[in-house]
Amino acid sequence: MKEIVVISGKGGTGKTSVTASFAYLGGQDVIVADCDVDAADMHLLMQPDFRQSEDFYSGQLAVIDSERCTNCGACAEVCRFDAIPEVDGNYTIDALNCEGCGYCPRVCPEEAIKMEDRNVGKWYVSTIKTGSTMVHARLGIGAENSGKLVAKVKNEAKALAEKNEKKYIIVDGSPGVGCPVVSSLSGAHFVILVTEPTVSGLHDLKRVHELVKKFSIPAGCIINKADLNPQIAEQIVTYLNHEKIVHLSNLPYDETFTEAMVNGQTIIEFNKNHLSDILTESWEQIKQITNA
Amino acid sequence: MDPRFGRTEYILVYDEENDSLSHFDNREINNEAHGAGPKTAKNLFDLGADVLLTGNGPGGNAAAVLEKAGTKIYIGAGEMNVQQALEAYRDGQLKKFVNS
Repeated sequence: MKEIVVISGKGGTGKTSVTASFAYLGGQDVIVADCDVDAADMHLLMQPDFRQSEDFYSGQLAVIDSERCTNCGACAEVCRFDAIPEVDGNYTIDALNCEGCGYCPRVCPEEAIKMEDRNVGKWYVSTIKTGSTMVHARLGIGAENSGKLVAKVKNEAKALAEKNEKKYIIVDGSPGVGCPVVSSLSGAHFVILVTEPTVSGLHDLKRVHELVKKFSIPAGCIINKADLNPQIAEQIVTYLNHEKIVHLSNLPYDETFTEAMVNGQTIIEFNKNHLSDILTESWEQIKQITNA
Repeated sequence: MDPRFGRTEYILVYDEENDSLSHFDNREINNEAHGAGPKTAKNLFDLGADVLLTGNGPGGNAAAVLEKAGTKIYIGAGEMNVQQALEAYRDGQLKKFVNS
């Protein structure tokens, strides 16, 4: 079983559309893991049925026991996040502001404050339109993605892939270069970098590849909208050659890319054209590389 | 072996001098939302490990901790079992991890 992670560094490069296309091409051989949980949108293209769900807890939240609280205000005084406003004469925890630092229970003379695990959202196992399985998550308002949640989604996907003898896990990776991305990459066999020919596209590609290099994971790159700025596209190719990153393909700018998304379809299903041909070729190449 | 470093659930400690094994339960790491790598690195330091054999290798922050602790890191053992990893290390088959 091979774990393939798709990342981009920069947003808006077409990462999720590319990931969904490969997930569609892989069909029953693939378990999909959406680890881009801050802005999860893979479900729009894969039509999951949310058949199994479980609460996810991360971090802590202060809870005041109103029976014991004497409204002395000692907690509000020390809270540097202004998370304990006085509402109708009672000190109350503002869950959106509470950082879970645990200072208030330490100063409460009545021992009326407890730290509880914070429910930040749910994670799901779904059957998707290819008939295969997707593991994904949905965060509550104000909640953030974490290495913990990414690890959870990936571990579930891995367990399912092993149990059902799937050949691939395709991970829609998290953005940036922080903790969730480190967690997305950890354990991967191959990384697909999706970029675009812009100054920030190249800059963020370099930044995220520093991380991939550190983990010694082989990588390939897809340059989306490559014809919009041939000059930078060429700079990207030079960089890829220098860093020994496989140049998988250039995708031309094409409005069917967006139209497919608007229709809730992957590029492959939406229209049989040069875009879907290139992506199919790239997927074949990725399979060859990961099984070599 | 777990290919992950930070969120590995167990650490197996091999004492070369006495040819003995012991294990450390690292499952508390499942409760950490962030910074799992540096925490596992600290646990490794507390265990007094001189050499780490792992899969992809630690992330930047964990690597910085291990570097300060003087731990030598070897990667590429993610698909092996423990015995294979140890033999590969002894035969010089594992890649040395460099934090750049």
